[in-house]
Amino acid sequence: MVGFLGPNGAGKTTTMRAIFGLTDLDGGSVRWNGRPIGSAERRRFGYMPEERGLYPSMLIAEELTYLGRLHGMSASDAAAATARWLERLAVADRAGDKVESLSHGNQQRVQLAAALVHDPEVLILDEPLAGLDPTGIDVIGQVLVEEARSGRCVLFSSHQLDQVEDLCESVTIIDRGRLVASGTVDDLTTAGAQRLAVRVEGDRDGRWAAGLSGVSVSQITGGEVRLVLGTAPSDAVLDAARAAGRVTKFDFERRRLSEVFRESVGA
Amino acid sequence: MLLVAAAGRLWRRRRRPGSRPPASRASKDRRNPFGETGLVAGREIRERLRGRVFRVVTALLFLAIAAIIVIPTLRTASAPRATVGVVDGSPALDDGLRALAHRVGLTVRLVVEPGLAEARTALRAGTLDVVVDATRAVLVDQALSATDTSARATFVREASLGLGAQGAYARAGLTSSQVAIIAGAKPLAIVSLQPAKKPATSSETTALLGVILNFIVLTQYLTWTLMGVMEEKASRVVEVLLATVRPLQLLAGKVLGIGLVAMAQAAALVAFALILGQAAGSSFVHGTAPLVAAATLVWLVLGYAFYSWVYAAAGSLGERQDQVQSMALPLSLPLILGYIVSLVGVSSGSPSTLVKVLAYLPPTAPFAMPALVGFGLVAWWQFVLSVLASLASTVVVAVYAARIYRRAVLRTGGRVRLSQLRRVPSATR
Repeated sequence: MVGFLGPNGAGKTTTMRAIFGLTDLDGGSVRWNGRPIGSAERRRFGYMPEERGLYPSMLIAEELTYLGRLHGMSASDAAAATARWLERLAVADRAGDKVESLSHGNQQRVQLAAALVHDPEVLILDEPLAGLDPTGIDVIGQVLVEEARSGRCVLFSSHQLDQVEDLCESVTIIDRGRLVASGTVDDLTTAGAQRLAVRVEGDRDGRWAAGLSGVSVSQITGGEVRLVLGTAPSDAVLDAARAAGRVTKFDFERRRLSEVFRESVGA
Repeated sequence: MLLVAAAGRLWRRRRRPGSRPPASRASKDRRNPFGETGLVAGREIRERLRGRVFRVVTALLFLAIAAIIVIPTLRTASAPRATVGVVDGSPALDDGLRALAHRVGLTVRLVVEPGLAEARTALRAGTLDVVVDATRAVLVDQALSATDTSARATFVREASLGLGAQGAYARAGLTSSQVAIIAGAKPLAIVSLQPAKKPATSSETTALLGVILNFIVLTQYLTWTLMGVMEEKASRVVEVLLATVRPLQLLAGKVLGIGLVAMAQAAALVAFALILGQAAGSSFVHGTAPLVAAATLVWLVLGYAFYSWVYAAAGSLGERQDQVQSMALPLSLPLILGYIVSLVGVSSGSPSTLVKVLAYLPPTAPFAMPALVGFGLVAWWQFVLSVLASLASTVVVAVYAARIYRRAVLRTGGRVRLSQLRRVPSATR
């Protein structure tokens, strides 16, 4: 499962649309398994666009069956897959309702079912977690993990970096149309300068770290200061912290994905 | 079907080489013999037939046709009747009134009234239709209009004239033999230089109904096509669909599906009209009327084939449902022109030269040509020529409409202007 990250306007949606031939390429090509993608390959892909797209007045089960058939399934196979996915996404009881009668979260589930109904080889999802409540995120996240474990390639974009870090094995980060970082989450978060997380009792604003040289402050949250070690040794940091008060935390930590993201895009 | 296939083939030839790798089994799946176009058309058919608007409009059209066919037969089946009150009458007056009624086709029942006041009361109450006071007046409840040519109105006018003349003869002191000579006077022959305008034949009446039917059905289904495309764009479902089907397949499926519903509805209406007309003994189904009905259906198909691409392309330019009216209006102008000119031509009993010209122009031929067929004013080769012109122009229109659709349907963020599309490269699927 690959997280596809980038700031607003970086080109994530455009890239996904280009995979499905929905936008023109200024240059280059879209390839899968080393070959340019054609309509036969696209029929084996599943797509969930950023702006959700379903016929609002069509019955849910009929709509999913129709989409399955457009991908080459027989009527009976499409109907069976529709029932299976609605059950798995916990909206089976709404199969006979119109899409427009569903809540936002349930529409999102049906939209995911529409991307999965034809058992695609590759699943490409544009912001599948946007606007969902925690339960919805758990349900959809669990489905995505299970699908990835079953061998399906899942690529999804999101601004919810904590979820991406939890769900994805790899991430790709783009900025202004260019690739700026790519790799497994482990590689990206362990790479680069060492990180320290330090907490000094009674100093919720991390003032003790303000004058430190040879380090840069990455983040201050609830009294915990995250530091990126530069030329200064960790002992010097510990000494400065102890001079400010009782040290309640002093850990070497990996980069968070949010830090990888910010450093990659220069935010 | 053939038109769709031809347009698709032409379109594929015109695509840039290399813009898209050749599809393997992309357009026809073994489990789906009609391909994606057939699936899209099938969805359209199901959704349209299920819609409440379709069912209501269809029911109303059936009712309207039944009324148009059955009501005239009821009117001809029952002769007009009137109850006539007579004040100060005589046997001779009664005989004269009965003879007059017979001559104008009115069945009368004469009622002797004791006085004028009682007769007025009965007239106002509606128990009498006419009162004849032998020496003073002929009374009716409501004044007759100058254009009323019914049997009752003719009876009233002639009774008034006749009784007035009788009084004048009496005052002139004419003898009964002289009065008899005058009463028996025969009018001079009226000699016309040209034959009288023949009454509308059944085929002309069928042509009139055909022109109206084509206008109603085309207007309804073309608007559906426009709104259907716009709905897919507005709901963004088009992005999901175009991830797996080609734009032309989606467009052709929509046009085909809605068109098949339109044709089925029109064919059902025509069949219903012919069967009901036969059963009710209507004059609509006599002579060449079935042929005119068939020509109407042919031009309904051709008219839909021509306009549907244009309306679909226009739908792809819009973003919101409230833009439908403003977009449909300019597109409907040639439709309205052809309809009105043809309707006036048919109604006048003599289609003008303009109708004969419009019969060869694809946007107006769906109305003008059935009108000419109804009047027997076209030879078979002229009909075929117009059909060929319509087919050729439909292919051209379909190609350009598909190009507009393909470039516009994925452009969101407001109404798309045609000038914007010129700058869009045509390499997209």
